[in-house]
Amino acid sequence: MSDGIRVASLDDIPQGEGIAIDKAITGTEDDIALLRDTDDTVYALNDTCTHETASLAQGWVEEGFVECPLHSSKFCLRSGEVQGLPATRNACPHRVEVRDGEVYLFPGEAP
Amino acid sequence: MSTSVVIVGGGVAGVGTAAALRSRGFDGDVTLVDPGEFPYDRPPLSKDFLAGGRTLEQIALQQPSWYDDQRIRLINRTTVVALRAAEGGLELSDGRVLSADRVVLATGAAAARPPIEGADSPRVHVLRTAEDAARLRAALVPGARILIVGAGLIGAESASTAVRLGCEVTLVDPVAVPLAAALGHDLAHWVHGLHVRHGVRTLQTVVESFTDRGEAGIEAHLAGGEPARTFDAVLLGVGMVPHTTLAEQAGLEVDRGVVVDSGQVTSNPAVLAVGDSARTRLADGTLPPRAEHWEAAQTDGARAAAALLGTPGPAAAAPWFWTDRHGHHIEGVGHMASATRTVVRGSFDDPSFTVFGLDDGYVVAAAAVDDSGAVRAARRMIDRRVPADPDQLSDPSVNLRALLRN
Ligand SMILES: Cc1cc2nc3c(=O)[nH]c(=O)nc-3n(C[C@H](O)[C@H](O)[C@H](O)COP(=O)(O)OP(=O)(O)OC[C@H]3O[C@@H](n4cnc5c(N)ncnc54)[C@H](O)[C@@H]3O)c2cc1C
Ligand code: FES
Repeated sequence: MSDGIRVASLDDIPQGEGIAIDKAITGTEDDIALLRDTDDTVYALNDTCTHETASLAQGWVEEGFVECPLHSSKFCLRSGEVQGLPATRNACPHRVEVRDGEVYLFPGEAP
Repeated sequence: MSTSVVIVGGGVAGVGTAAALRSRGFDGDVTLVDPGEFPYDRPPLSKDFLAGGRTLEQIALQQPSWYDDQRIRLINRTTVVALRAAEGGLELSDGRVLSADRVVLATGAAAARPPIEGADSPRVHVLRTAEDAARLRAALVPGARILIVGAGLIGAESASTAVRLGCEVTLVDPVAVPLAAALGHDLAHWVHGLHVRHGVRTLQTVVESFTDRGEAGIEAHLAGGEPARTFDAVLLGVGMVPHTTLAEQAGLEVDRGVVVDSGQVTSNPAVLAVGDSARTRLADGTLPPRAEHWEAAQTDGARAAAALLGTPGPAAAAPWFWTDRHGHHIEGVGHMASATRTVVRGSFDDPSFTVFGLDDGYVVAAAAVDDSGAVRAARRMIDRRVPADPDQLSDPSVNLRALLRN
């Protein structure tokens, strides 16, 4: 497959937070949230919460999960699997790689 | 361990109980009885669903396939009319009888309809169900004169939706600053002030009676010498009355809610109760008011499932709720009434901002406007009992996540 798109430096994403990458860059239907876990691993999920319209990049990232900033549904960072109501659908995950402090995104590729 | 559970009521508490039973590994039969077509979520009923921006399918509590996937038998368009706790049986509105080892009452509440003279007019609405919301929406046409009685969560949200739809909205409440107990005085004052800033007329008074004037509308007679005013529709948003009839008839202890212990078990060990219909007695014997919020109802479900399985329940967590009005997302966590001092992070002139409530060096509550991260940080500070320095909390340059890590 491709080498991915360089979308950010690791330093651009504070630990426990996220940033949204515009769909004009990712070429996907939705923006993609890059989420940096508390152990510094970076994950990528479709940015729009599957419940309503919140940006998961604004969510609270901790120990393998992101908590939606509006109604607090949690999603697994690795698989996108929804952990509880009010969201009922999984978030779509994308493959991410961090090389030399740079974050490469593989939109549409399973992690 | 029980092998069959019947859940009465398909709100977030009932559906949450079913989901938690399965996610915690319950393998027996789970049946969910509800009068609706399918279980749906209530918070949108005063927000997007009321505005016509979402369909009933879009506010379903679960995807249609979920019930089969999780082996939850959904008996829709049906109510439970009697609970025969002694025989382990439930009688349904269609005459059928179900039997179960355990019953979970998740019957929720009805919107309160205080005995105001003239309030039986068809122009007077309440808001608890999707049918209520659809009926109210039909009245919210541009230019319609709408009176909302009660500036609590549902009244305030509906006022915001109605004014956005172009209605001429009047909101009355006898209290100068509604929600002060939940949000603290200053933030509640700011939040209530949003109404006026968005074109809602607010009046501090109560409605004494209504007179239906037919085609001309409905006249509201207000206390305190206010002139009578005519409206096209009225919404009563004055609280809720828990559905406790089944429990009362079955002889369970009821005190403005079905009384339960910390595992959601009622005075009959085979019957549990969750959500807006339940009221928890604390270990010290006191009966605090019901929570009446969405997350509390869902957590009740998880606790009931754990109790049914005999496993430890979810960790105690500070209560949390949200409300949306006039384009702002407002959240509260913890118990603001127990704070002895407050500090503000950010500025009331420029949302987002957060008010932290402290007691004895610890955060005990927070209330925020458009500041989700601060609320989530506060919640963890409360739950983990992280000591907090007020100067750091109020300094927007201090990263709250970093305070948690220390
Ligand atoms: C308009 C509105 C807006 C809200 N907005 C917010 C918000 O923004 N944030 C927040 O935190 N909370 C909000 N809430 C509160 C939250 O929705 C409730 O706390 C929550 O719905 C309680 O869930 P429940 O399952 O206990 O009760 P309910 O949701 O009332 O569900 C109970 C169900 O049981 C059924 N039932 C009753 N009796 C029987 C019977 N005998 N047999 C079978 N079924 C029965 C009912 O028909 C109903 O479907 C809002 C509530 C309303 C009404
Ligand atoms: S928008 Fe994410 S849980 Fe509601």
